Amino acid sequence: MDDETAALKEQLYAACEEACSSDPDRLFTQEDLTALDVIPPKDIKKLLLLIQILTNERLFAPVHLHSGLAWRLRPKTEADKYKQLSSHDQVLVYEIIDAAGAEGAWQQDIKRRLNIQDNTLRKALKELETKRLVVQFTTVENISKKMWIKANIKPSSRATGGPWYTDQFLDEAFIEALQSVVMSFIKNRGSYLSKGERSARSMSPVMPKKGVINGAASEAAMKSKKRTADAISKDDAPAAAPAASKSRKTIRLPLPAGYMEYPTTEEITAGIQAAEVAKGQPLKQEHVQELINILVWDNRVEEIRMGSRVGYRAVRISKQNPSLYSKPGDDDFWEPRHNGLTTVPCGKCPVFDLCEEGGPVWAGGCEYFDQWLA
Amino acid sequence: MLGHIEIVELVRYHKLKHNRKKAAVNGGAAHNYDHDHDHDFDQDLENSDADDPFDDDSNHINGNGVMHSKAEDETPLQADEIYDTLAQLVAAGVVETVSSSMFQSPQDLKASIEHECAQEFPNGVRGAKVISEFDAMVKSQIKAIGAERIMTKRKLQESALYEPSNIKRRKLANGGMSNGFAGDSGGSILRDEPNTVVRLNFDKCLVELRNQRLAEHADDFVGETTAQVYAALLASLCKKVYRCQHDQHTIMTGEEEESYFRGVNVTTEEVFDHLSSDVDVSVGIGTASEEDIDIRFGEKIRKYPPQVQGSRLQGSLDAGDEILGSDDEEYDPTGERPKAHVNGKNGWTAHNGDHSEDGPSSRAEQIYQMRQHLLILAEAKQQFVRHCGRNEWTVDFGPLVQHLRYAELDTMIEDSFGRQGLRLTRILRENGKLDDKTLPAMALMRKPDVHVKMAEMEMAGFLEVQEVPRDNNRAANRTMFFWFFDEARTLRRVLDNAYKSMVRCMERLEVERYNKKHVVELLERKDVQGHEEDKLRGDIYDEYLQLVDMEKKLLSQVSRLDDLVSIFQDF
Repeated sequence: MDDETAALKEQLYAACEEACSSDPDRLFTQEDLTALDVIPPKDIKKLLLLIQILTNERLFAPVHLHSGLAWRLRPKTEADKYKQLSSHDQVLVYEIIDAAGAEGAWQQDIKRRLNIQDNTLRKALKELETKRLVVQFTTVENISKKMWIKANIKPSSRATGGPWYTDQFLDEAFIEALQSVVMSFIKNRGSYLSKGERSARSMSPVMPKKGVINGAASEAAMKSKKRTADAISKDDAPAAAPAASKSRKTIRLPLPAGYMEYPTTEEITAGIQAAEVAKGQPLKQEHVQELINILVWDNRVEEIRMGSRVGYRAVRISKQNPSLYSKPGDDDFWEPRHNGLTTVPCGKCPVFDLCEEGGPVWAGGCEYFDQWLA
Repeated sequence: MLGHIEIVELVRYHKLKHNRKKAAVNGGAAHNYDHDHDHDFDQDLENSDADDPFDDDSNHINGNGVMHSKAEDETPLQADEIYDTLAQLVAAGVVETVSSSMFQSPQDLKASIEHECAQEFPNGVRGAKVISEFDAMVKSQIKAIGAERIMTKRKLQESALYEPSNIKRRKLANGGMSNGFAGDSGGSILRDEPNTVVRLNFDKCLVELRNQRLAEHADDFVGETTAQVYAALLASLCKKVYRCQHDQHTIMTGEEEESYFRGVNVTTEEVFDHLSSDVDVSVGIGTASEEDIDIRFGEKIRKYPPQVQGSRLQGSLDAGDEILGSDDEEYDPTGERPKAHVNGKNGWTAHNGDHSEDGPSSRAEQIYQMRQHLLILAEAKQQFVRHCGRNEWTVDFGPLVQHLRYAELDTMIEDSFGRQGLRLTRILRENGKLDDKTLPAMALMRKPDVHVKMAEMEMAGFLEVQEVPRDNNRAANRTMFFWFFDEARTLRRVLDNAYKSMVRCMERLEVERYNKKHVVELLERKDVQGHEEDKLRGDIYDEYLQLVDMEKKLLSQVSRLDDLVSIFQDF
């Protein structure tokens, strides 16, 4: 390698480094490299030579694409690590693990791709491990798989499962707790909490429901005979009584149409961060979105669009428990809906399909009916 | 007693019934349940048993204030009253007069009309022009039949007394309910034709029942006051809605056809006129500061009904018409607060929520507040109403009922398989087929848990699985499993299950009655009927009460199942 080639090599590498400064994972095809204006145009041989040298020095990592060959840049510090490797096997194994990046490489996979003995592979891995180049880890997708990853990077979120996993296990308690935080946030921001103060006033004798009737009588009487007659025909207590008893307790009320402040995913994320409920696990917006999606699928929350703003609000708001921190699992979280099939024993019957007159089970001798009728 | 009856017969029966004492259990059970969805309505006509399981005090006839109070039943009905009530029911469309053409199936009827019309064209029906003439002729004949059918109804409606406002006036004049009104009343029209045969108009009954059901639904999802407003809206809207489901054979009058093809709508004023003054429209909505509310979205007008795409609803809240400034983007400026009525308070925000200091509220104020309820209904995910023009409202029943069905389905799934089961099925409904791996990740559930739930639901028939082998030897570990939720099938299945459950309740009832045969036999005796408490021995009387209790429980269950059936099939 003469001086000129060495200089050109340095130049090419520097140019590539600059070209991919914004995107470290950028791939360079042959055209990209020629376009860098380092090599004299049409000097393919020179280019080939340089690429060969850079690849040998591990500064270029070849990548096979559908369209052909391309190269990824490897930082000098990473390339230097290859110099520590003493055997050919180690190099091959390390190459595979290096290429796998944050996803990690499965031991079986390495073996199959290199087509080497189990012993040799194990030995190579052992040596790499003692040199602190690779470490073993487990992925949540398959706990039994032996996975290897470069020692200086963390497994990807796909492998660790993101914030929802603690030590490879789905942290259901954590999810549950966060869900209730999200839920109460949405509930509080997207509804009106009526404290029932109103009832005291509207019940006062000075302010009977008469007002309604007066109003109707004065103006409406001209236009609508019907309303007036209606009002007069039952002009008394029942109108006020149910309203009063209802508003005395604290209830949640829907907000007027066109309300613009239903919380969005960003706001909910910010709210969670502000509340510092998940300190150890910083939650990103996409994670909060996952939680919200769950609540949507659970029929607890619904999406509401106001122009480009996508907010969320609780469904059946008037049936929601007004206590601020009720957990989703609580019985009083909301009133479950009922219909004919949920109340009849048949709705939940495990032997519903077997049940017939003269069959092994039948309604006449059904023990679920016995319990239900008792 | 079922089906149709002459008016005189009906009146005679009614008198008889009132002379008779309250029917006993055996009487009650045997004929009350007629497996139709019209308990409320024939209740008012045929039945006033106090211990009737279906007697749920429904005074509601058509929501326009025609009350048929139970109190009346305590004093024996006068024949006049029966005629009068009947006339009201006919005018409201709940009861219809029967003509001979009704006994023919619509297909046969059409065939015979076509046959008749074909004779007008001796040269045969050929060529575009002749065919269109022929079609027009057939159509007009069918319409004529439709019009003939509702002739009595029309007459009654026209006899001014049954115009809603006039009913009120008459009430005012009498100071009481509609009894003993002589002269040219609707009752007398019917009395002149005592041999008119009437029957329940199931189509119309279903419309009314659907309204009730939808109002309940709104109560559940939004709130009580809003539901009352909604009921008023439905009541006024459904004066022009004659049936829930149409098919090509439905015989319609011109007017019905128009409301069917062009849709019906009501104005805010009309809704307000149907709203009972007991409803305090100022409650039930929370307060928000004015700057948080964008009237352009709250008042958005949606001219076109949402498109039903497959089973998923593409509500008009979806991205499509969000673009500001498009032609469809209009809002209703009438929704802006009538400034004159602010009464020196800080804008309108103060009026919706926790206060009512300004006491007497004017009609404009009330209409304004009622509109707020309507807007909430329009904004809801279910799209209870559609704000289809300035101050005009309509309801897209099709998609709404579909929502209702899904709501019931979800209720059932949640009840049987818990929240997580519901979550999984909803994910599948939204995403179509999903494999074993994606599902737990989306649902944030542990894989084994998901598998257990899925298997459970598959056993119960709510889910289905498709196996796709990755290679030729169909080993389980080389097979992909795709779960999916077949909506149409599940809905059918639920309907089936509802019917089956109903049968089982009836079966159980029969068994219970058989077990208490000694009591039932006593009750069949004429001298015991009506005097159970005096005539029966203590222990037997207790057993009798138990039996009655059980019967109530089972029959009310049947009625609830029946409600479910109507949601899945009739509405």
